[in-house]
Amino acid sequence: MLTKRIIPCLDVTDGKVVKGVKFQNLKGIGYPPDLAHIYEQQGADEITFLDITASSDARETLLNIVEKTAEKIFVPLTVGGGIRSKEDMRSALKAGADKVSINTAAVQNPSIISECAEEFGSQCVVVAIDAKKDEDSWSVYTHGGRNKIEMDVVDWAQKVEDLGAGEILLTSMDADGTTDGYDLKLTEKVADQVNIPVIASGGCGTLEHIYEVFSQTNASAALAASIFHYGTYTVSDVKTYLRDRGVLVR
Amino acid sequence: MVEIRRSVKYPESNDSYRIGQRPKVKVSIVDYGVGNLHSIRKALELAGARPVIESNVRNLLDSEVMIFPGVGAFDPAAEKLEPYKEIILDRLNAGTPCLGICIGTHILFEKSEEGSIPGLGFMKGKVEKLHSEKVPHIGWNEVTTDDKYFSGVESPYFYFAHSYKANPEEDIVKGTTEYYETFPSIMRKKNTVAVQFHPEKSGASGAIFLKNFVKFIEEKL
Repeated sequence: MLTKRIIPCLDVTDGKVVKGVKFQNLKGIGYPPDLAHIYEQQGADEITFLDITASSDARETLLNIVEKTAEKIFVPLTVGGGIRSKEDMRSALKAGADKVSINTAAVQNPSIISECAEEFGSQCVVVAIDAKKDEDSWSVYTHGGRNKIEMDVVDWAQKVEDLGAGEILLTSMDADGTTDGYDLKLTEKVADQVNIPVIASGGCGTLEHIYEVFSQTNASAALAASIFHYGTYTVSDVKTYLRDRGVLVR
Repeated sequence: MVEIRRSVKYPESNDSYRIGQRPKVKVSIVDYGVGNLHSIRKALELAGARPVIESNVRNLLDSEVMIFPGVGAFDPAAEKLEPYKEIILDRLNAGTPCLGICIGTHILFEKSEEGSIPGLGFMKGKVEKLHSEKVPHIGWNEVTTDDKYFSGVESPYFYFAHSYKANPEEDIVKGTTEYYETFPSIMRKKNTVAVQFHPEKSGASGAIFLKNFVKFIEEKL
């Protein structure tokens, strides 16, 4: 049986992890390849790097970091943030990413999804969707959440699947940063609509939140940042908690 | 603090250039021109081999060991091998050790529903789309096997990322995995090992699998 995945996410800028990271007694804090390695040792099923800078210099730095990380970890690595073209995706894969996530570029030019899927395979192409609640539905946002697109999240999710995306990284902008839990309704809606794996993201603050998202929705994976960075819990704590409650994990 | 249940321990790569030790076995990883080959190269290095990445397929023709990595889509990979198909096939039939991973496994078959170009046809049968409604099959899943290549592996979970599976028409299946159906996750013919999962992405379990692969090659060469 396929297990549920736990994915620590590192926000990277200028070659460093920017969200506060408060590990104790560990070397190399803030250096992404070292952090990725620590998470891998704790049992992370994948690692995600999100590049939150935009300049081209920073892009080179990121690719360098990806290359160093790929030599060090032996679980899949997803890289996202600022990927605008098939060539950007190729460079990220060449540098050592296993999957690449695209967001704004996919909304602006949906055919990039099918082009990348044809060349690199669907399993490499992750479409990141940033969603924010309106009255009784959710809208798609781009440019790191700054621009609202008049498009329903569930419709967009279906479209990216049809275009050949391999996975959806679904972030609730309402929940993100609150540590109040994932947006279960949003996750449920999207995961029930599409047949590709959905990674739930945004809002994770406790072990129970991760259990909730797996027991109440069809999410395939849960992404979390601060609970791991602040050392509140290790990935291994999460796995133990889930295993004790009957969720199949590695 | 809860104790970490499964800490990841990788086999140490041994420096075989010391006096009295045999040189590391050279393994040639085919570069189809797409995707990430860092992990497989590094993983084979840790497993005790001396990996080289070959973007010129011609160089495969006298390589000791061929690795068909699991990156990209079927047609670009099959196209890259096309000009040397007959020679590669002869070498595989003659027992040259080979490891196929994911797409690299698929191209060993006669054809695939994913592409229009024929594969190498070393393994009889074709590659078909997974039956599940949830495709691609992405994540860590169990390999059920008692094959010697898994000896010493503690956790049966390996990383998969695919939409297609091999459907061999000969008796070569050595292990299977379940995902809405049972499909072959490891097949062996002559000295070729073909897996559906990604050993280079499968943490400690993948590392032990690759170490076994390198060990068995050394015994054969």
